[in-house]
Amino acid sequence: MSQISLSGIHKSFGSTEVLKGVSLDIEAGEFVTLVGPSGCGKSTLLRILAGLDSADTGDVRIQAQSVTQTRAADRNLAMVFQSYALYPHLSVAENMMTPLKMRELGWAGRLPIVGPLVARRACRDIHARVEAVAETLKITPLLARKPGQLSGGQRQRVALGRAMVRDPVAFLMDEPLSNLDAALRVHMRAELSELHRRLNATFVYVTHDQAEALTMSDRMAVMMQGEILQVGPPDEIYHNPASLAVARFIGSPAINVLPGEKLADGRVVLLGQRLFNVQSGQPRALFIGLRPEHLHLAAEGRFEGMISHRENLGSDLFLHLTLKEMDNPVVIRAHPDQARNVARGHNVRFDLDPAKVLFFEADGQRVTLDGARQLEVAQ
Amino acid sequence: MIKSHAHIWFIGPALVLMTVILLIPILIAMGLSVTDYSLGNMGAEFVGFENYEKIFTRSAYEKMFGATFRYVFVVVPLTVGLGLGSALLIHSLGRFGDIYKTIYFLPVMAALIAMAIVWEFAFHPTIGVINSTLERGCGTWLELWTWYAKGCERSFPLWLQDRDYAIWTVSFIGVWQGFGFNMVLYLAGLTSIPRSLYDAAEMDGAKRGWDRFRLVTWPLLGPTTVFVVTISFIRSFQVFDMVEAFYPQGGGPSKSVFVMMFAIYEKGIQQNLMGIGAAITVVFLAFVMVLTLIQRWLVERRTHYA
Repeated sequence: MSQISLSGIHKSFGSTEVLKGVSLDIEAGEFVTLVGPSGCGKSTLLRILAGLDSADTGDVRIQAQSVTQTRAADRNLAMVFQSYALYPHLSVAENMMTPLKMRELGWAGRLPIVGPLVARRACRDIHARVEAVAETLKITPLLARKPGQLSGGQRQRVALGRAMVRDPVAFLMDEPLSNLDAALRVHMRAELSELHRRLNATFVYVTHDQAEALTMSDRMAVMMQGEILQVGPPDEIYHNPASLAVARFIGSPAINVLPGEKLADGRVVLLGQRLFNVQSGQPRALFIGLRPEHLHLAAEGRFEGMISHRENLGSDLFLHLTLKEMDNPVVIRAHPDQARNVARGHNVRFDLDPAKVLFFEADGQRVTLDGARQLEVAQ
Repeated sequence: MIKSHAHIWFIGPALVLMTVILLIPILIAMGLSVTDYSLGNMGAEFVGFENYEKIFTRSAYEKMFGATFRYVFVVVPLTVGLGLGSALLIHSLGRFGDIYKTIYFLPVMAALIAMAIVWEFAFHPTIGVINSTLERGCGTWLELWTWYAKGCERSFPLWLQDRDYAIWTVSFIGVWQGFGFNMVLYLAGLTSIPRSLYDAAEMDGAKRGWDRFRLVTWPLLGPTTVFVVTISFIRSFQVFDMVEAFYPQGGGPSKSVFVMMFAIYEKGIQQNLMGIGAAITVVFLAFVMVLTLIQRWLVERRTHYA
């Protein structure tokens, strides 16, 4: 039985349909990422799961209980917001205590000075738990400070701490790293994964950054225009995208898409070159997807292009090649050693790894061409 | 090295203006307050602190302080409270918010002199709408209230002319006139509270409206509240036009509405006793100064979050 289950979620704001019947099952202890371009409805879906927004139709189930009619406060979920949403007037410790105080103390226990006297044991217990979480997140020295005195990364940890003090069914995170600088973001990616392993809790993570989705998640759901296009482990999404849209969104630099053709005799042709033969049949136009790392410079390569731009990342070098036959440049990954001598304006030859070629129909659906691999090997 | 004098040209104009229109008049007022100067006299006698002594000993001035503080301590809490309450209600409204905003803000925009005339009619003992409405309630269960029964038996109070009621009636009109202004300030404060904090409060289990108010709304309105309270204090210390409209002579029944601004006007302008008028002005200035300093201290200490 899955921990969280969303089924047939529809949501419209005015006449704009934001979610068009989204269904998703999330297992206990899983790290699931909702990834998609901005405006695809991923944050709305998370808010509906949290109970902060309500769906027009559809059902939200948590631990086999329908919570569609349950308000957010009663769903026992914890959320980390993009803006962190820390209470600016409360110290870090008080911020982290808030969820416990709200849930576990009566009105008397929450009174400013009298409270700790009335509910002494409960208050001591809350303090202990906050300190334990602060210890885990290494923010103990910050406990007395106000959020205004913290850096972005520290605030992020406090927001995480406020979610962790309870024992929620799942942690919901709405682009928690997007306000951090690049280096810290990479660092926090590793730390969040580590935290997930240690807590062994369910994480539902929303991001527009495919790098975050690929590096952290057990499974990722690619969303576009209010629909989930594909759900699966990052590896599978990357290597086996179900559609052109997914292939284009995942991967950086983006996949190269070139127009190709399957002829009646079974030849598959790209830019006038025969790639390989498949079983003969109806001729049709195809889109051919090639990731930059599946292209390589080769003196005897079948294709030729002019280098219009070099992107040096140190470990890799990406070359943008302008082809005679195409408007958009083709991006190809080269080893820095290999490409030391090539400069902008040079003509180079390149070839591809035929086993890695992805085919898409004109409407963007992925197709496998019968016998493509076998024939290539036989050849 | 060439020494530049550019800075003088940057701060000079502001400094000169401030000195001419603010500091010098204050110093002149302070100087006048220790003399018995009258407008038109060639000279004036130095009288030391005699004027101040009068202010703090004579019964007329005791009444002045009494009236001023009664007015201030009724009007400030009520305008702030009503301002916050109406702002919260309007903020929670979707469609009709703008209508209420306009209605409550109208008295702030209206000329108080004109409003005073209307209120004078309303409070008129025989033709006024207030007392005639009250009389309709006679003979009903309202008479269980002894004050009401007494009113029916004899007559309802002469609101503006009875020394027991006058200052409270004036305060009531002050509240009616003033809370719309605070409401607008609070509305601005409310819109600046980030929505995500309410979401966070909901996730943290703040289920009741009161919890959300305590956890998010009230603390985040802190800076607004400090400003609203200070500006309300200063505005109520400055009340004048209403008193002048109701009681052009003498500050109300038995001087019960003899507020500070009116006292300055009466002494300094009507009776041409510049010395004493200046002395009251200096005392008034001291009050405002203290309030402003408290506000600055509060803003820096307590409510400065960023």
